[in-house]
Amino acid sequence: MKNKKTVKIVLVVLLLAALLIFPVLDKNTYHQLAMAQTLVNIIVVLGLNFITGLTGQMNLGTAGIMALGAYSGQLMVQKLGMPTILTIPVAIIMGVLIGYALGWPSLRLKGVYLSLTTIGFGEIVRLVITNWADFTGGTTGIQNIPPLNLFGLVLDKTWKLAVFLVVVCAVLVFTAYRIVGSKYGRVFKGIRDNIEAVEACGINVSSLKIKAFTSAAIFGCIGGCFYSFLMAYLNPTQFTQDLSANYLLMMMFGGIGSVPGCVIGATAVTLLPEVLRFTQEYYWLIFGIITLLFVIFLPYGFISLFQKEKREEAGIFKILIDRKGKRRGTGLSKSGGMK
Amino acid sequence: MSFSMIMQLILSGIALGFIYSMVSIEYTLIFNSTGLLNFSHDKLIMLGAYIFAGQFALRMGCGYVISTIATILSMFIIGVLMAKGIFNPMRNMASPIFAVIGTVVMGRIIKELCRIIWGATAFNIPGFMKGTFRIGNVMITRANTYIIIVAVLLVIALQLYFNHSRSGKAMRCVQQNKTAATLMGINVSQNINITIGISAVVCSIIGILVISLFSVSLTMTNMIGIKGFAAGVIGGFGYFPGCIVGGVLIGILENLSTLAIPSVYKDCVAFVLMIVFLLVRPNGILGHKK
Repeated sequence: MKNKKTVKIVLVVLLLAALLIFPVLDKNTYHQLAMAQTLVNIIVVLGLNFITGLTGQMNLGTAGIMALGAYSGQLMVQKLGMPTILTIPVAIIMGVLIGYALGWPSLRLKGVYLSLTTIGFGEIVRLVITNWADFTGGTTGIQNIPPLNLFGLVLDKTWKLAVFLVVVCAVLVFTAYRIVGSKYGRVFKGIRDNIEAVEACGINVSSLKIKAFTSAAIFGCIGGCFYSFLMAYLNPTQFTQDLSANYLLMMMFGGIGSVPGCVIGATAVTLLPEVLRFTQEYYWLIFGIITLLFVIFLPYGFISLFQKEKREEAGIFKILIDRKGKRRGTGLSKSGGMK
Repeated sequence: MSFSMIMQLILSGIALGFIYSMVSIEYTLIFNSTGLLNFSHDKLIMLGAYIFAGQFALRMGCGYVISTIATILSMFIIGVLMAKGIFNPMRNMASPIFAVIGTVVMGRIIKELCRIIWGATAFNIPGFMKGTFRIGNVMITRANTYIIIVAVLLVIALQLYFNHSRSGKAMRCVQQNKTAATLMGINVSQNINITIGISAVVCSIIGILVISLFSVSLTMTNMIGIKGFAAGVIGGFGYFPGCIVGGVLIGILENLSTLAIPSVYKDCVAFVLMIVFLLVRPNGILGHKK
């Protein structure tokens, strides 16, 4: 067992080293941009995983969270002349505020309320940013965002930002991994699987749900903050409902609830449309059909190919197993009968 | 601020409010029978408008009555297909998240198909439901009159269907208890297919009605889709009278709010109301408990 773990650690270190070297060697700005975008998406999806993947509460306001994270920092830089490095703590504070302000009304109640509140929240944020033109710049947005300045080290090129993002992303992936394995992670999963049992253990469910949502908002705001430096331009039309849905897709594509799954999903969903660009005007449609097939036939995501239980719980493998069962004449399948 | 102007705002608010009510009814049908929210419902409304305006009325040049019937039939089929492909396989999964993602992806595919088939530019049917009536000092547009009449008829028809027809009663059984419904010999999956078909029909009716308010475009229904959700929460989630009250209330308050706040923030009213209701009165205005 110990050997296996060493192999894993060596592999992760090698992967990190490769990722760190890649933007330095590859001078193609398009590749560097795609990589940095993927890393930002990984951060946001890891956050979404806490509330939607582990706790099972639907969050459809990721775009609004990202927008607030990005705008709050950049507006302070523009209006107050704050050093750019401070945008990161500002984003974290913003995340905590969003988590409590939005989680408290909607997560005390059971049911679909969080998904509805977050949709409304995303729309309010977008409308206010669009229409409060004197302060936020309206649809012209914030232009000429200065590069991130790390105590004198200026990240003025895309490859420098990409290298820094690899480091940040590695730290956040490790954090997320540890949170999932901690007692909080287990309670989050418990809330998703059997909320009554968790309540019966004397755990304050709504407080934990709010904690999960707050961590999601913090990760989302950090992602938004780096997104603003990556694009060097902010505009409310970037943060639509579609973006929020995209993050959900990323989470599902890799595997809901698992950290490696989120990383794989974010990478796949960010890069797949770029790969499909050769189909020109049909590429978005083809991408949609591929993801729909994934949802129907492999709902537990890419990672479930390596996990026997989950693989056979739903999707294509379940269909195949049911077929086999019928052919042998065993009658009802495991999950068959009345539902 | 004259009296007639306020009446004017209230009247057009009621018309828009009935649109929200119908949106709310349409997803509540699905929510009650499967426990899932249909996040592609705004795309279905858009598809209804595109099929009516783009395909039947403009490309094939059919009359409005024939186009309406053809749109309703094709949307029913699309709804049943969606139920077979997405809702029925996914409602039994461990978490509703998969179905939500499924519907979101479905919505995207519908949007892309519309863009490829009918083009990305917005268009309109010339002269469709245009014109105004005048009652005293108050003007009411023809479109708003039609919206109110159709909405009231639709609500009555749905009530009659659910309370007096055999399949409508079966649907209510399925909504209350699926196991018991199976034991009584009701085919639950088929029942859900038909429910979602009806929901798609309501979507298409909304789509046809809003053509004259917004022109036919890929983003025409973004707002009414989301405000429909707000209407449901305000009136009482999963409860038909609540949908109607919540929708009309949002419509009126939204229009009256332009007297007090800048009109660009009109769209925020529904969402702020929704969050206030979640804090103060989570069961909605009618206080319906499931």
